[in-house]
Amino acid sequence: MNALVALCHFCELHGPRTLFCTEAVHPPSPSPPQPGSAIPGEREREGDREGEGLTMRANSSATQRADMCEGCRSLPASHPGFVSVDGETGIRYLSHQHPRQPQLFSVVRQACVRSLSCEVCPGREGPIFFGDEQHGFVFSHTFFIKDSLARGFQRWYSIVVVAMDRIYLINSWPFLLRHLRLTIQSLQNTALKVFDSEQCVCPQRAVRMNSAFSPAVFPHQRSGNAARSLTSLTQHSNLWDSLHSSFSWLLKACGSRLTEKLLEGAPTEDTLVLIERQTEQEEEMSGWDGAEGGGSNPQSCQSESVQAKDFQFDDGTQEDLIGPKFKSLRHLRQVLGTADFRQLTWHVLMGNQVIWRGADPGLIQSAFNVLKALLPVGCVRAVQYSPHYEEAYRCNFLGLSPDVPIPAHVSSSEFSVLVDVLNAERGCVNPVSDDDILSLYQFHISSANTQPTDKGPTLLNKLEVALSNENLSVEVVSLCLLCLKEEWMNKVKVLFKFSKVDGRGKEDTQKVLALLGATGPGEEDNVRLLKFWMTGLSKLYKSHLMTAVRGGERTLSQ
Amino acid sequence: MPTLLQKLFSKRAVGNGSARDCSTGAEQRWASAEFDLAQIRLIVYQDCERRGRQVLFDSKAIHKLDASEPTADETKTPPNRSGACHIGSQANEKDKPPTYQYTRPASDVNMLGEMMFGSVSMSYKGSTLKIHHIRSPPQLMVSKVFSTRFGSSSTSGSTNTLQDSFESMSQTFPSHTSSSIGVRHVPSAPLLFLARSASFFAAHSNPVDMPSRGHSEDGDSGIARSASLSSLLATPQPSPGSSFSSGCASSYQRRWLRSQATSLQHGPMPRWNAEEMFNLSDESCSSNPAMIRRKKIAISIIISLPEREEENHNFQEFFFSHFPLFESHMNKLKTAIERAMIVCRRIAESSQRVQVYLCRVMEALGEFRMTVWNLYMAPRISEPVWLSMISQSAERNLLCQRFLKEMSLLMEHGVKSQFLSALLTAVLTHHLAWVPTVMPSNLPPIKPACQKPTSQTVDLLAKSHPYNPLWAQLGDLYGALGSPVRVCRTVVVGRRRELVQRVLYILSYFIRCSDLQEHVQPQGQKDNPANPCTSPTTDPNPANERIGEKTFPPPPDPIKPIPGTFMEQNDETLSTDTNSTNTPTGLEANTFRPECTEMGPECFGEHVDSVGGGLEHILANQSPLLQRVQFHIGSPREVENVGQAGGLTGMGCGGRGLDRKLHQRLLTDIRRNESSDSALGDSDDEETSSREMYMAAEQTEYELPLPSSQVESRASVNHFGRSLLGGYCPQYMPDFALHGISSDLRLKQCLMADLEHTVLHPALDEPVAEALCIVADTDRLSVQVVTSQRQMCEGGRLGRDVMVSNLIHTLITSVLQLYALNIAADFCVMHLEDRLQEVYFKSRSLAEYLRGQTRVHVKELGLALGIESSDIPLLAAVASTHSPYVAQILL
Repeated sequence: MNALVALCHFCELHGPRTLFCTEAVHPPSPSPPQPGSAIPGEREREGDREGEGLTMRANSSATQRADMCEGCRSLPASHPGFVSVDGETGIRYLSHQHPRQPQLFSVVRQACVRSLSCEVCPGREGPIFFGDEQHGFVFSHTFFIKDSLARGFQRWYSIVVVAMDRIYLINSWPFLLRHLRLTIQSLQNTALKVFDSEQCVCPQRAVRMNSAFSPAVFPHQRSGNAARSLTSLTQHSNLWDSLHSSFSWLLKACGSRLTEKLLEGAPTEDTLVLIERQTEQEEEMSGWDGAEGGGSNPQSCQSESVQAKDFQFDDGTQEDLIGPKFKSLRHLRQVLGTADFRQLTWHVLMGNQVIWRGADPGLIQSAFNVLKALLPVGCVRAVQYSPHYEEAYRCNFLGLSPDVPIPAHVSSSEFSVLVDVLNAERGCVNPVSDDDILSLYQFHISSANTQPTDKGPTLLNKLEVALSNENLSVEVVSLCLLCLKEEWMNKVKVLFKFSKVDGRGKEDTQKVLALLGATGPGEEDNVRLLKFWMTGLSKLYKSHLMTAVRGGERTLSQ
Repeated sequence: MPTLLQKLFSKRAVGNGSARDCSTGAEQRWASAEFDLAQIRLIVYQDCERRGRQVLFDSKAIHKLDASEPTADETKTPPNRSGACHIGSQANEKDKPPTYQYTRPASDVNMLGEMMFGSVSMSYKGSTLKIHHIRSPPQLMVSKVFSTRFGSSSTSGSTNTLQDSFESMSQTFPSHTSSSIGVRHVPSAPLLFLARSASFFAAHSNPVDMPSRGHSEDGDSGIARSASLSSLLATPQPSPGSSFSSGCASSYQRRWLRSQATSLQHGPMPRWNAEEMFNLSDESCSSNPAMIRRKKIAISIIISLPEREEENHNFQEFFFSHFPLFESHMNKLKTAIERAMIVCRRIAESSQRVQVYLCRVMEALGEFRMTVWNLYMAPRISEPVWLSMISQSAERNLLCQRFLKEMSLLMEHGVKSQFLSALLTAVLTHHLAWVPTVMPSNLPPIKPACQKPTSQTVDLLAKSHPYNPLWAQLGDLYGALGSPVRVCRTVVVGRRRELVQRVLYILSYFIRCSDLQEHVQPQGQKDNPANPCTSPTTDPNPANERIGEKTFPPPPDPIKPIPGTFMEQNDETLSTDTNSTNTPTGLEANTFRPECTEMGPECFGEHVDSVGGGLEHILANQSPLLQRVQFHIGSPREVENVGQAGGLTGMGCGGRGLDRKLHQRLLTDIRRNESSDSALGDSDDEETSSREMYMAAEQTEYELPLPSSQVESRASVNHFGRSLLGGYCPQYMPDFALHGISSDLRLKQCLMADLEHTVLHPALDEPVAEALCIVADTDRLSVQVVTSQRQMCEGGRLGRDVMVSNLIHTLITSVLQLYALNIAADFCVMHLEDRLQEVYFKSRSLAEYLRGQTRVHVKELGLALGIESSDIPLLAAVASTHSPYVAQILL
């Protein structure tokens, strides 16, 4: 709890005194402090602390120590105090006679004086809450401790809990009262036993009656015994260790009395797939370690690992490469021209194999990085740059060196598109800049596809509007794309649930497509996109739906 | 035949099954006991340097004279349990207001005065809050003591002061009949005294009526310690590069700032509302704030506690956990008393003046009593959907089915007017706590895949930098997550009980907050660590009497702690791993092992994980603390390596271990979103100073183990998530985040004043820029939003109609169509969450779009981002929770 606990005593000689104080020191802030929030503790202390009704200004501990008696003291001056560390949170609970943190010294002093000299509690023993914004807020519980030698045979104490969070302190009233009562009763009972045994040995009442008018009755003149320490009154030799432990526990228990269960959104499919791939990769790596030299195909290993690696080090790998690069979808669109860009991205979104063939692997990789953003992570299988053709089931992004032939079944397939990166005919030796890709290269796009690519999918239509609007920054466009992808991913989930999990018929499926907004113009492309994206759902999600539906049906049938 | 809904609402209805008519029987009552209005007493006391102390009001000493109107004497006729507590309306309808007589003050007022002001007066100028517990008869007393401020009004210098009136009255006492002159009610204008223009950024401007402290600009600006407003200045901006920010980021930020704002380590700090005074200056005159006499006024509410132990306990638990609401109503009472005093000063005739004063204060007290009664007694939604889904995952399927069924029914009912879409547009725009619950987590899910994870960073924060979870919850419910901070409530009006309850039930899914659990020490636990003298073996032993003080080991070697803490004398539950040394003089350092002595950071976790206290355990566990029934407070003490004593550096490394990890996690979670915040200022000083403090603490103290104790975890009953989601209430309630009423009569009377009061005295304990209320009328199928910033709309209408967000409309429609296609309810609800997540992503685009924009092109938004103009208010509000600058640009 963001609070401190102190034991205070009204000394017959010296008035209200702080005896023992346990404070919680929190680890340095885990989050960078906010400069705008005016939190710093360095702010100058207000000057108007002077002029209190009482002399409440904090004396320095040095001056106070000069006039202290046994009753005003807990730990001897040479004692270093106590500390307990909460290993889980790093909070340290420190106990000394006075608080260590200088800004808290006067706060505690104020609380002590108010609890024992100012505030009135009916019956003098009991709980009070008081405080204000300037001095902090205090839960105080006053109580008597029996002392056979004291005036009235008792001494007056209080335990104060000081905090700045008044609401939490008030919320904690029942808790604090319950537990401080235990502390207090325990001290009182222990002292009562001492009192009784002392009275047996030497009944003070009789002594005092006999010396009724002797000046020695007045406490300040009863030398030595005038103010006994609480240790002496309870004859609890380890009283301060014990109080330290009790107070530390109280602070901790009060702080963790209530806990929040706060939910956040489920991870996106992209996150889930990334995690799954990472796990798989780790497993495979450990598998290879064992099988090394066992004749596994190094070639495939390499491409696999490049492919897996690719997801996590997109940016890193790209920066390593020199030469011209595609920076964004908009850049790609500018370079290719709107028609070719439309054709290319259409193929990407439909799940067709996209082959780039050229001499500059860096350029091709940058193109892939930009294009991959169009798809859910789970739909991307890339082979960045290969010396030979890879089949479509292995990759939907394939980079090839210029001389690699494309097999006939591929070049005649409507499910693939080929981009040939050719050197620009101008043969400019010194390009003006890396940005100027067109001064270096020409791009030739070819596909056997006969479908129109300008109708759908809806996602691409919307994306192109954003791309063509130069008012929108690249960041806005990428967030816009993110929205579109999430929107369509959610449709994918429904379709998956509907067709794969529940196995509904065509008619019903058509209804779902309509309510998802996938019908209408470009419907065919939308459906193709949904079906392709379904392959990118995370395993976790799929298996969850498979099991959840069984659970759900059970409850339905009940 | 009872409907499903009625069953739901009656599931946990409290009561002994007495013949309650069906019109009220369906909902849960909060309180198990009667609560009598006369249990609440008001005392106004004055403490003047010149005149001493004087009672200015004591409801116990006031009697109504006109016996022919007993119904108006609310203290004599507390409402029955099923009925509402109606006060005030009768009095207003009568031509003749009640007449009061002030009798001899009760015998305890002197004592109470002592308690309110203290035996020594304080010169502090701000207001002081006190709470006393009076044992016999059991009572709680809440007092606020204010310094007074007088204006140099025209009446200054005149003798028309209240105390003069009382003095003249007490002279005529007991011939009271002579002073019983009926006074016509002054029309109770809802105009509030301190009302200031609530512009959109009101919290930034200096509240003109507040006295200036004069020492610091920040202290007065009202934003100094506001968690949410300061986040306006410094919330990490989501960086465009990251595809999404951590789900908990904004929740985390809010809570972290709160923990800092209330931290003791920063010492006392002037706050936004620090110096509230009792204002007696006449508004119509130019007031002179410099004229502050040494006079204090205390306002005390004394609540008699129930006699029965259990009822007493229940009420106290409720009172203390709901204190901010009580306090807010006390502030309202105070304002009314101020006004009463000012108004009556203008009246020349003494007895008439007293009557005006008494009437007004009694009326305000009546309001207060009724509000408190209603707050305690009103029916609640027994199974709020969202909280139930969080806490009862086993019943999730059933809950989803019920929820969707009710929503489908409501959709059909209001299909023409798009009632549900309008209502949800308004609710999702203003009760913003749903946003963090859909912001995607970027942490790997553990078991129940695809279900929402609990926020681990917030968990860790709560442990290392505690804040008040109740405060966090209150802010959630009122939707105070955006910036500037706005708070919102929703009231559903309608004569058809079932329909209203259906709406409430559905909204209890969308109005969200965190769930709270309470961890308590089991009853009758013998060795409670709060007890410093547990064991009978500590019987006083005269031989040891002074040893404790004299035989402390010399300080030089801090690794050797002093032996023999009392802990070791505890019972077996705690002492198994501690070497018991009952001889206090035993100085064998190695027989005693402080926990966590010498663990290097790398060995952290290895040592501390078996009992459940270690960080690794927490991180591995999906939701530490929350779902386990029992755990230990305090650290396990199983460190067995005695021989590792050595250097000093290891002290407390466990703590730093966690700190380091926490730090890293948060850095990755939070800092990734920060792009260029350093421009706002250098934060190095701050960091080093707190670090220094922490390091400096690692000096040479003797280390003792932190005691642990058995803890039972249970769902907390007295939290706002349970108490502020009201059912179909007999009367309009100003506190509830959600409730239903049958008639909007009283709502119309009170709402504007309540909203203005909320802005001036927010129960949230931080500055609020605007207070709103969504009023959904199920009879007329209309949804309006009423704001504190707008006076009455034309035609006597309360607020503006809500524009239906197309986004929300299609969202609900498609979820319900899916449900109609017989897709499992569980999946439909998951889809609903996915769609809400889409709304969040859209708000990210909007925020990013606005970042570089000086003008908003609505058409462009629609074309490029698919954001229609009807969606903009919703998306802007959502965006303001993660990108505070949005509000500034849009205005």
